[in-house]
Amino acid sequence: MDFVSVIVIIVNILLAVKLAVGTTPILVWWERRVAGFIQDRTGPNRCHIGGFRLGGFIQSIADMMKLMFKEDFTPSHIRYKFLFTIAPAVVFFCSLLTFAVVPFADNLIIDGQSHMMQAVPIHLGILWFFAYAGLSTYGIILGGYSSNSKFGLLSAIRTTAQVISYEASMALAVVSIIISYGSIHLNDMVAAQGELAFGFLPSWGVVIQPLAALIFIICAFAESNRTPFDISEGESEIVAGYHTEYSAMRFGLFQVGEFAAMASLCAFIVTMFFGGYHIPWMDTATLKANIDNVLMVLILLVPAMTLLFIGWMQKNNRWKNPNDPRARETRVLTKVFLGLGSITTIALIYVLLSGLSENGISIATAAVQVSTFLVKFFMMCFVFIWVRWTLLRFRYDQLQMLGWKVLLPLALLNIVITAIVIVFLGN
Amino acid sequence: MGVKIIERHGNSLKDKLYLPAIAGGMKTTFKRFIKNLANNSNLETRQYPEVQPNDITDRYRGVHRLTKWDDGSEKCVACFMCATACPAQCNFIEAEERLDNVAEKRPKQFKIDLLECVFCGYCVEACPCDAIRMDTGIFSFVASSREEFVVDKQRLMSHEEYVQKEQE
Repeated sequence: MDFVSVIVIIVNILLAVKLAVGTTPILVWWERRVAGFIQDRTGPNRCHIGGFRLGGFIQSIADMMKLMFKEDFTPSHIRYKFLFTIAPAVVFFCSLLTFAVVPFADNLIIDGQSHMMQAVPIHLGILWFFAYAGLSTYGIILGGYSSNSKFGLLSAIRTTAQVISYEASMALAVVSIIISYGSIHLNDMVAAQGELAFGFLPSWGVVIQPLAALIFIICAFAESNRTPFDISEGESEIVAGYHTEYSAMRFGLFQVGEFAAMASLCAFIVTMFFGGYHIPWMDTATLKANIDNVLMVLILLVPAMTLLFIGWMQKNNRWKNPNDPRARETRVLTKVFLGLGSITTIALIYVLLSGLSENGISIATAAVQVSTFLVKFFMMCFVFIWVRWTLLRFRYDQLQMLGWKVLLPLALLNIVITAIVIVFLGN
Repeated sequence: MGVKIIERHGNSLKDKLYLPAIAGGMKTTFKRFIKNLANNSNLETRQYPEVQPNDITDRYRGVHRLTKWDDGSEKCVACFMCATACPAQCNFIEAEERLDNVAEKRPKQFKIDLLECVFCGYCVEACPCDAIRMDTGIFSFVASSREEFVVDKQRLMSHEEYVQKEQE
């Protein structure tokens, strides 16, 4: 293994870990602020370090610190201490590993050698996802069971039932995707989505397989235990469900695991149904050929976005009392963002003027694709949060009814239709 | 008696699909989100310590005060009616003889433990001399130790000075 592939692998692993775990504080922050704005409240916005509130982001850091330094308390009625301890770790570990097969960009070709842009360079793709996504619910079940309390056990039972009913439809929805793309490797799927469908639409999964996309997204909500399918937490009925008996960082691990599961499901939805790392109407070859034009667009776009953002910040980030340290935050941040924006622009101009070698073009393409993936990924995360604060929780019987009587037949029907179309029309 | 026929909802295909209704709800929440994200000055949240509430009625029970005669002496006659009525037993009164012919007794010390107090207002109801009231408008009493929450006669008779001092 040479130096370049080591660097590529390290970058990919860092990306995967960052996206799975590092997004948790960001997602917690979004969850609170989006909930606030949807309900005409502000959400947490007071917590600050030396006057820097960063729009309330400091609050989730403070929460994280609190969870880390709290007493790690094990109730005396826990009989299976080992299971009780490893349960959150299982959730966390599996959710983290799910991210390993998500391609962040097309295969990176440096000096004629191709590198896969995913944390674990294997071709298992969607099977790896099913293995670990399914396994992560074992953590919840173990946690609920070993808690040795009514609430934990009820929650574990509910989770088991829910996962059994929804994972079936989810897998069947994915089968039709596999039939249409003819591969289980995610990068092949994304490459296929770079082409055009019907001559003008990007052939994203959501265009080719709208029904499978719908079923998969619904099941993804169930799989990540988020509203409207969060009956395993069901705080109105069973306190907090499986993590009732947990405290401190063990609870924190459950929380991080939940957000990591959500993040990985977002990544998979983006990869399979929303074109992955592709900019719409631009597959990798087109992007490589037009990299100079893309850079020029970026050079125009970055300063414009920076100025827009600064304008928005100055309008909305104010503090009434001018003597408070929080009042000077906007002034400092304006300078910081102006500096960052101009440094990025200058770097882009330098790259454009100095010209790109063949390796440079590959790396620039990969960078653009990773950024595209990130934008789509965060938009999908926003959809998860948005749905959470719009929809109500399903009742248990409604949930089972939807899973078995609606989603499963629809998924089967979708497979049949897809198979017929593939057989008669060829690929 | 007229029969009113109520239309049942949820049987049409559109209702059974759920998705149109979900899309409608998502549209509503998204509009709210964008509106508030673009301009957060219309939010309902009150930035509390800086912006004090102004919509509390006069009848709302706050921290107690002892009323005074025109010459500044207390109206309280230390009859212990309030302490008897108190369900939280937070009034501690020490009586002494009053020699200026206004009344026979006066409280030497009158203490209320605000941590024990449930702000039920029974002491105000029970008082025969209108000597204790809960109309100070102080709703958030803050202190840094348990002892400081036991307010004495001096404080109960001159909240205005204390509040002014604390604000400075």
